[in-house]
Amino acid sequence: MKKIFSLLFVINLVCLAAVSQSALPGLDKSPLDISYYPNNYPVLKIQDKATEPLVARVVYSRPKKEGRTIFGGLVEYGKVWRLGANEATEIEFYKQVYIGGKKIAKGRYTLYAIVNENSWTFILNKETDTWGSFKYNPAKDIIRTDVPVQNTTEAVESLAMTFEKANGNILLVVAWENIKVALPITL
Amino acid sequence: MKMFRQPLLILTLLLSLFSCKEKEKEAVTKPDAVKDSNGTVTAPSVNVSHSTVVNPYATVDVSPMDMSYYPVEYPKLKMANVNIAPPVVRVVYSRPHLQGRHLFNDVLKYGEPWRLGANESTEIQFYRDVTIQDKKVKTGRYILYCIPEADKWTIVLNSNNDSWGLKQEPTKDIDRFDIPVKHDHGGPSLEYFTIVFEKTATGADMIMAWGDILARLPITFH
Repeated sequence: MKKIFSLLFVINLVCLAAVSQSALPGLDKSPLDISYYPNNYPVLKIQDKATEPLVARVVYSRPKKEGRTIFGGLVEYGKVWRLGANEATEIEFYKQVYIGGKKIAKGRYTLYAIVNENSWTFILNKETDTWGSFKYNPAKDIIRTDVPVQNTTEAVESLAMTFEKANGNILLVVAWENIKVALPITL
Repeated sequence: MKMFRQPLLILTLLLSLFSCKEKEKEAVTKPDAVKDSNGTVTAPSVNVSHSTVVNPYATVDVSPMDMSYYPVEYPKLKMANVNIAPPVVRVVYSRPHLQGRHLFNDVLKYGEPWRLGANESTEIQFYRDVTIQDKKVKTGRYILYCIPEADKWTIVLNSNNDSWGLKQEPTKDIDRFDIPVKHDHGGPSLEYFTIVFEKTATGADMIMAWGDILARLPITFH
């Protein structure tokens, strides 16, 4: 027991020391994350358990709610949002798919959203490797598609994205605060 | 009596920390047992205060992901100048933290392959052809892993993309590069594993640093 406590104490010191580092990049407040379809594809791949081919992945930063009003507050209604934090959210398709009835070629795209109270407009845009939505250029849009807002049963502290299977197609589910939306991706 | 009061205070403080740690551990292991941080999530980290609540959609990783571009901070440069030339290289990696452990041999072992990060394999994307140690590396996406030794690191470029970092497939190796390693980089010890690019006369160095250790992979641009 004593050992654990002294270890904890040392760890506290280490964490305090870590805060003072500045020469090399520190940790992002909104950490980056990645979601694949099929879900957990990288793990399935090394276990030879993948039963479906790789379709898509999303790379996004995960801001936290931290007691703030998100939708209609931090994320203003009617404005283009980077759907995350820091770098603009990136979605990659490993094969051709359809979104909003439009053929989407294999490749890497930026995904934005316009948030409203009852619906979101997802925007697939071809300007990649960019920061935020500050220089969003509608001329580079591939497709815009509207989806309804649903309520979640529990509060979601960190912005979350995951893929779900639905009737042979997939949904990109985005959840934060107390709402979720689902973008249909047709194979 | 005074003598007892202080240890009691410390004990209470530590106990509260300990219970925080238990909650966090549960939060990271319950919904998605495959998310690992070099196999261990046992040590507490007091600076991850917001990951104590389980996220029903996607758990927040103990070792958060990050990306590094060359040019450094490319997306921000692009925000300032939309007509900027494309980037040269980007690394997407997860950032394990020491959490009181020694880098060698608690976390890494000499001679054993390491994914140069945590969770998913570390990914490197070249937006144009480059040269590393006189070998041409073609435009495209690869994964990286490392075989650390006391006197050198072997950095391996491999084509098994979109894989989890715990199992390497040497049959898919593209190239291997031996680089020297510094055991004391002179700066403060780094709690989180860090990859960053630094401009050189002929291109950029990919700097990999953790704890007191630092290694550089020189990349030449055409």
